[in-house]
Amino acid sequence: MGHGVKIFNAACKGCVNCIKSCPTEAIRVVDGRVRIIPELCIDCGECLRTCTKKALGMDEDDWDTLRTAGDLQVMSDPTLYAQLGSYRRPGVVRDALSHFGVREVASEVPLAYDVGAYAIARALEEAEPGRKPLISTYCPAIVRLVQVRFPELLPRLVPVESPLEIAGQIWRRDHRDSNLTLVAPCPAKITLVREPVGREKSSFTSVVAVKRVTRDLLASGATAEVPQKPMENIRWLMWALRGGETRHVTQFLDRPVKTMVVSGLRNTLDLLQELELGHLPGVDYVECRVCDLGCIGGIGNAETRFLSEIRLRELPVRWELTEHEFGEVQELYDQGIWKLKVSPRATQSRTLGKNVAESMNRLQKLKKVYDELPHIDCGACGRPTCHALAEDIVRGEGEVTDCIFKLRDRISTLAREIADLSGHVPHTLRNREED
Amino acid sequence: MNSPYELEFSVAGEDFLAAGEGSNRVKETLKMLGIASDFCRRASIITYEAEMNLVIHARGGTVHVEICPEQLVLTTIDEGPGIEDVELAMQEGYSTAPDHIREMGFGAGMGLSNIKRNADDLAIDSRPGEGTTLRAVVRFAQGKGGIA
Repeated sequence: MGHGVKIFNAACKGCVNCIKSCPTEAIRVVDGRVRIIPELCIDCGECLRTCTKKALGMDEDDWDTLRTAGDLQVMSDPTLYAQLGSYRRPGVVRDALSHFGVREVASEVPLAYDVGAYAIARALEEAEPGRKPLISTYCPAIVRLVQVRFPELLPRLVPVESPLEIAGQIWRRDHRDSNLTLVAPCPAKITLVREPVGREKSSFTSVVAVKRVTRDLLASGATAEVPQKPMENIRWLMWALRGGETRHVTQFLDRPVKTMVVSGLRNTLDLLQELELGHLPGVDYVECRVCDLGCIGGIGNAETRFLSEIRLRELPVRWELTEHEFGEVQELYDQGIWKLKVSPRATQSRTLGKNVAESMNRLQKLKKVYDELPHIDCGACGRPTCHALAEDIVRGEGEVTDCIFKLRDRISTLAREIADLSGHVPHTLRNREED
Repeated sequence: MNSPYELEFSVAGEDFLAAGEGSNRVKETLKMLGIASDFCRRASIITYEAEMNLVIHARGGTVHVEICPEQLVLTTIDEGPGIEDVELAMQEGYSTAPDHIREMGFGAGMGLSNIKRNADDLAIDSRPGEGTTLRAVVRFAQGKGGIA
């Protein structure tokens, strides 16, 4: 497994809200247990948002264990810097973290984001018109969504590694056997570490939620000095915000390109559907994120995305690179450190049978079963739709009477039969009763 | 031998929002059968464009899809105005869509040519004033390869 979502069955009340929120219909609640179909889950975290019973959570590593083990080195997603009003400068966060024994690995990260943006710009310049628009691979849930639901769009994914992984790789050159923890804002970035797409193994050894680290930082009461030296390169922090990646990429383009920025699950699904039908002529690049407003909308953050947005927008960002910075970017680009090692492949779709003939048979059966169901998609059977129930039934993973309406029909038929039978008298007694 | 799996749905004229539902259903069905994704994509494009033609030009009609292990046959039947010159209508960019529809960004004259590009067989039988029957085939085994 290796997914970023964890199930706590003891807390589940069987309310089935989660199954309704899943964009790939990957969740079932059967026999009192939540089950996630691993090949369909994209780790978008929508089910975590809808579960009010805390039966679903982020499958992060144990922060307390990591922290007390000592010599903890973390690398953080940009979202961490938008969590705390007073700590939004990287240097200040670093300072505060070090007060309770956490070393934040930082020097490689801004550079890695520059390299990522530069590589995307080059890919845009080199792509043939027929392959455009290219799609951003920054949001791991989008990559998985394309693998699961839109495999036709796989060639459009820009073949550039996540800047977080690029940073991890640069760091690894000098720290081959050390542990490195990623501070992540969502289940999708947990999966980036546990089961990466595009590479065999992640540079990170463990992963914790932004929320966990932020809370600890607040509780520790750590104070930090506001550094007096000039602001560092903070272009990379903007990737936490919708449109930040695009702004960074355009910095490296000589000619203007038409870009589209979309955030939120509903919007992303709409966009990918349009793209699949070939409806976005003239668009060169699509930046999409499954979370509203970008990564700051991730379920693993502590702060509301609305406040985070204001904070990030207020930062004075210097978009132009110094000559020295540009030299470093160019050098790393030439080393190819930004490339995806393995092209993302289509997730094997869940066919109905072992071969087309068996699938055809089951499809005919499915149609019959489905026609008999009430088509109101109530979810009481533990499946997101009546169609999903019909599918489970022909796969042998469910019963028609899982549907409460069918169950009611059966009971009422049975009740009628019982009433009917109760009127029957043994024929030997019949005459006597008439007398 | 399996009997073919059939899908049928009607499309209302000028209902731009509903168009596309059929194409999604076709794609999902093919995926459940385990048909390779390139064929799914082609079938879904053909269905979408055919639906759109019914919406834009024909004041609606019916779409019938027949799926066998070897191929998909899509038939649309309408009682619209018909096509005067089928060959001309097949040319890229040729369109008889009225201005108000073009202003919405539809009817760019790519529909039929897009269907032709993605289908292994295409037959159009049209009688001006009476309606049009379109029949498109996608062959799963030895059909044409992927075209972007």
